[in-house]
Amino acid sequence: MSSPSAPHDERGNAARRSRRSDRTFLICFSVLAGSYLLLLVSTLVADLFYTSPGHLWRALQSAEIRYAIRLSLLSCTLTALLSLWVAVPIAYLMARLKFPGKGLVDALLDIPIVLPPLVIGLSLLILFQTPPGRAVERWVPVTYAVPSVILAQFMVACAFAVRTLRATFDQISPRHEQVALTLGCSRSQAFWMVILPEARRGVLTAGTLAWARALGEFGPILVFSGATRFKTEVLSTTVFLELSVGNLEAAVAVSLLMVAAAVAVLLLIRTQGLESALGRPL
Amino acid sequence: MNPARKIVAGSLLAIVVLTALLFWNPRNRPSEAARRPLLVYCAAGLKGPVETVAREYEQLTGVSVQLQFGGSGLLLNNLRVARRGDLFLAADNSFLDAARSNGVLAEVIPLARMTPVIAVPRGNPRKITSLRDLQRPDVQIAYANPEATAIGRVTQQALERSGDWAAIQPRIKVLKPTVNDVANDVKLGTVDAGILWDATVAQYPELEAVHAPELDGSVGEVGVGVLTFCDQPAEALKFARFLGARDRGLPVFAQAGFSVVEGDVWRERPEVVLYSGGVNRVAIEETVRLFEQREGVTVNRIYNGCGILTAQIRAGQRPDAYFACDVSFMTNVASHFGPSRELADTRMVILTAPGNPKGLRSLADLARPGLALGVANEQQSALGALTVRLLRSEGLLSNVMANVRVQTPTADLLVNQLRTGSLDAVLVYGANASGVKGVLDAVELPQPQALAVQPYAVGRTSEHGQLMTRFLEDLRSPASRQRFEQAGFHWRDVTPTP
Repeated sequence: MSSPSAPHDERGNAARRSRRSDRTFLICFSVLAGSYLLLLVSTLVADLFYTSPGHLWRALQSAEIRYAIRLSLLSCTLTALLSLWVAVPIAYLMARLKFPGKGLVDALLDIPIVLPPLVIGLSLLILFQTPPGRAVERWVPVTYAVPSVILAQFMVACAFAVRTLRATFDQISPRHEQVALTLGCSRSQAFWMVILPEARRGVLTAGTLAWARALGEFGPILVFSGATRFKTEVLSTTVFLELSVGNLEAAVAVSLLMVAAAVAVLLLIRTQGLESALGRPL
Repeated sequence: MNPARKIVAGSLLAIVVLTALLFWNPRNRPSEAARRPLLVYCAAGLKGPVETVAREYEQLTGVSVQLQFGGSGLLLNNLRVARRGDLFLAADNSFLDAARSNGVLAEVIPLARMTPVIAVPRGNPRKITSLRDLQRPDVQIAYANPEATAIGRVTQQALERSGDWAAIQPRIKVLKPTVNDVANDVKLGTVDAGILWDATVAQYPELEAVHAPELDGSVGEVGVGVLTFCDQPAEALKFARFLGARDRGLPVFAQAGFSVVEGDVWRERPEVVLYSGGVNRVAIEETVRLFEQREGVTVNRIYNGCGILTAQIRAGQRPDAYFACDVSFMTNVASHFGPSRELADTRMVILTAPGNPKGLRSLADLARPGLALGVANEQQSALGALTVRLLRSEGLLSNVMANVRVQTPTADLLVNQLRTGSLDAVLVYGANASGVKGVLDAVELPQPQALAVQPYAVGRTSEHGQLMTRFLEDLRSPASRQRFEQAGFHWRDVTPTP
């Protein structure tokens, strides 16, 4: 058995060292990542200990809460779809066009993200007391009615969808689009056939983010829609109502229902989502 | 179909379907469309009893009651901006006061009174039995923010008076924006104790109240107020009356741990009896009519000479309220009524034919022989009694009475007889003469005994005491004052509405 040559030995040591440092790196990252996950899971477990199957069952039995679940799921999905329909053009235009005042528009688009949610609700309430607002109300009652829930959710959710899609379109190289254009595509054909398929992951993320934001939305809804049972009460307001009368157990039970609904829907979208619509795996 | 079209068509279809599902509410019954729903802003802390009462009311009347819950302060902000809705049920009177000073609140129907207590976890693990124990260094308390809440404000004042505030202040671990936040802190064990309304503690089975005599004077009130922009006041007040009825809403509140006020008896359309001196009729008639319309009630008004009215009361008649022509006709039946409030006064006048042909300038002139005079009946009316009292004090009674041709139970009969020319002069209230200004001449009498003061009081045994107290508030309003002054009365109720 010949002794290994010195340079070879050094290379092996270096490889081992680098493998070891790789391991340390991954462990460090896993610990950091795990600490957050641990925090998330332990809050859920703590929640579970604060309630009982009885409370969960009673929450599910209550007609008010079933209505709130239905309204929450329907309104969030509608909000997410509407947000995408508005956010895709906004993000595309902002990524592709240069125009004076673009910085200002960019800042405007961030307003719903920066403003305290209560202020958004209050602003909507004020808007619908102005003459044009009142004119709209004559045709479709908005304030304190179901459309106000959608509008309040949309205001915030759309801003998040725009942010996400903006990053997506910024990352897609304009070259592909230009190639499509030189090959005889119209701008719209290029968008639908080249850009959108490329952006599908971003669109999906934007949609789920909008959906999740809408589900958790609470401040603007409380102000602009109220919390009328069987009318504008969504799950987040149910939690608030139960909390405000000190019924922590029921509040936690409803929160857990929200968590379950959110996880189920997010998983479903991630696995099915646009994949089926586009006819190819992500 | 290419994938892009599929996405567009699919998502548009989804939007349509979702919208349809949202607007198709299986609970919307057709009967609800016929009657407009009531929008009630309700403090979240009152949710339990109010929901129960509202459901009962919906079943009874078919009117849907939409309850909007939230913190009282938040609701107040909302309704001020939205300027719509019918009723506001606040957690305590501070919010009703704030709503009134913002000009958004009309009538208030009281529901319950609350007293501050020390709240501790059930079983009282820290053995807190008095305010003194709250000053122990091992005790931490949560306190409702005195700037944002009524309980914080009134208890701070009470503790400052009792000299405990300086010692308790260092024990305050946290200031919370609402009483429910304080209650939740005590419930969770974040603090050892808090100061809460007794009614709030009663809603938490995990909490126990420790009575502190120092805090007894600082009562809070739960009430439901009608919003000024409510455009269906009769419907709103009907539900408010239901909430505040001693046989409907109040027992539900009592069961939830509130010490309720003495409310009215529930009637879908209450019918009340108002006794009023004849002289007051012109001044109050319009106010009564508007009150009936707004409240959706029937007020049976009995106008007559106050002597006749008090005789009926002594005979066992129990009007829901009584508006006397003079305090002397209130004192003799005062035991049947609550505290009375003096609203207006009027001075007696000598009313003569146009131009005063007989030159009657003073009471003494009425003693001249050969005059034909009319006065009110002493037994039947306050005016008659006042007339006799006045003449006697001037030493003119027998001489003037010798000229009296007619005595009537009310003054308006005298005015009519004077106008027909059958009398030279009559002794009536200035208020009686306001309708005939320019047609007849009036000479005002300066004597202190010539002043009649009109008090209003609510029947002690009335089943609609709250309703009649609200009518008093209407009588005290600026619009009513104007009607009194137009009718020749002098306004007396100068203290501002509380």
